Amino acid sequence: MKARLISILFCFSTSVLADNDQWYDNVVLHGFASQGYIYTTDNHFFGSSDNGSFEFTEVGINGSLRLNPKIRLSAQLLSRQAGRFDNGSPRLDYGLIDISLYSSPKYSSGLYIGRIKNEIGLYNETRDVAHTRSAIFLPQVIYFDKVRNTIMAADGMHFYNNVNFDSGALFMEVGAGYTLADENVEYAYMGNDWGGSIHNDKLGLFGKLLYEHNGGQWIYSITGTRVTLDFDASASDRAPLPLGPGLHSGEIAIDYTVLSAQYNGEKWQFTGEVAFENVDYIDIGGPVSQMHINSIGYYLQANYNFTPAWQGFVRYEEFQLDKHDWNGKKAAEQNIINSRQLAALGINQPPVPAHEYYSQSWVIGGRWHITQNLMLRTEYHIVDGVATLSPRENNVTDTTRKWDMFAMSLSYRF
Amino acid sequence: MTWIGIRILITLLLLVSQNLPAQNIIANAQVETTQLSKTSARAIFAMRAQEWPNGTPIKVFVLEDQNPIHSQFCKTILGMFPYQLRRIWDRQVFSGTGAAPEVVKSEQEMLDAVANTAGAIGYTDKEISHTNKRIKTIKVDL
Repeated sequence: MKARLISILFCFSTSVLADNDQWYDNVVLHGFASQGYIYTTDNHFFGSSDNGSFEFTEVGINGSLRLNPKIRLSAQLLSRQAGRFDNGSPRLDYGLIDISLYSSPKYSSGLYIGRIKNEIGLYNETRDVAHTRSAIFLPQVIYFDKVRNTIMAADGMHFYNNVNFDSGALFMEVGAGYTLADENVEYAYMGNDWGGSIHNDKLGLFGKLLYEHNGGQWIYSITGTRVTLDFDASASDRAPLPLGPGLHSGEIAIDYTVLSAQYNGEKWQFTGEVAFENVDYIDIGGPVSQMHINSIGYYLQANYNFTPAWQGFVRYEEFQLDKHDWNGKKAAEQNIINSRQLAALGINQPPVPAHEYYSQSWVIGGRWHITQNLMLRTEYHIVDGVATLSPRENNVTDTTRKWDMFAMSLSYRF
Repeated sequence: MTWIGIRILITLLLLVSQNLPAQNIIANAQVETTQLSKTSARAIFAMRAQEWPNGTPIKVFVLEDQNPIHSQFCKTILGMFPYQLRRIWDRQVFSGTGAAPEVVKSEQEMLDAVANTAGAIGYTDKEISHTNKRIKTIKVDL
């Protein structure tokens, strides 16, 4: 897919350009590189962070080529290392053709075709570019790193429509495409890496409505996606488990909606976002049928610009995996019952505790633009609950409920 | 004493206001547009408008984010802050949905670039003399 897309882009570009221009004279290149350091008092986030981890590296390069005012090509290669989530192997982050159907100072519309970043919340589109984030880590209660690929980008087509009013600008976008599923998704939505596999052969839908009042002084948006993944159970998954039947093949249907609001003043910026996620398991059964993901995540952040180069922020964020079971109380009680039943069968499996089902944290931090392109950041998190951590990096029956995290990062872009 | 204090204050305020230079949007002389609404000016400098009404591609030049002239231009003409424009450009550049303007290092470089590039637009706090045949001033309805 990657190779094909890139070769299409290049063939296209060489054939459309005028003879006197070499196509590469018109390519605009940009890139970024960022290295983070993470220390947690307990638990693991992006590597063995309780001993200090440097396993958070992001490097990217992109090129864009305007063939004429109507057609533009762009693509970005990304290498990301993030603990056990991402091993740094380079991949095509996006690669698209932007076709402008109509453009005037008042109104513009067009199509993106190819691999397109999804606009989920205010930050998903550029979430791996440190300079575009509001902090070292985007709030994990909305921008989950543990399932990033389901909503990150999709191969398909988007239609956009932008209108400029005197009071502000309205942006609309709808699209359909195939998402990029991976093992992280299996851990997050099925609690384990099962023998079977998850496929993305169903079209996902994406939508955005965003209004920027008075040049972006106020920004309001609603963004959402509906993604359906297929799970093919393997023979070992179908075998009965000690406490009931095994898994069947079926579907996981994920609905994700984010509401966002932001105020941008000269000194103060305030941002609030809330996300609702609902996951339906169709025909899979077994222990997965006991998973209830009907979550809510939200945060409020205040940023203050001491000078254009120095900025500080404070943020409160909360996540509840099941909004009908606040702080995981009912789930934890059920886990204790299951654990006792297993013990009666001679199987020792400690119960998953309540703090796996929620996360509440205060974050304080700051950044310094050393130059226009070089930035140093630091932040401190005080956390209760571990719902934003992945079972891939942590044993879910053996996590610490209250933990702190310190992080620093140095980021460059051009 | 109070009276002297007030007079000093008034003199200082006058000095400050005299030091605030008038900001002008400038364009390559070939550009036909002579007037822009604030909305259109925002769309152009946010890199959301691709072409002039006659179809010429728009080429935007800006000074660095922390240059006082850039900051003054953003605030007085566009009614925005430099960090807002930077965020819009970065989003576009790093999601593949758009571009960032060309950054020039000095006002002289700005004038040269606008004079020599078809479809160019930029800004300056200098008066453009009527004898300059390669740069024109564009009025903005504030």
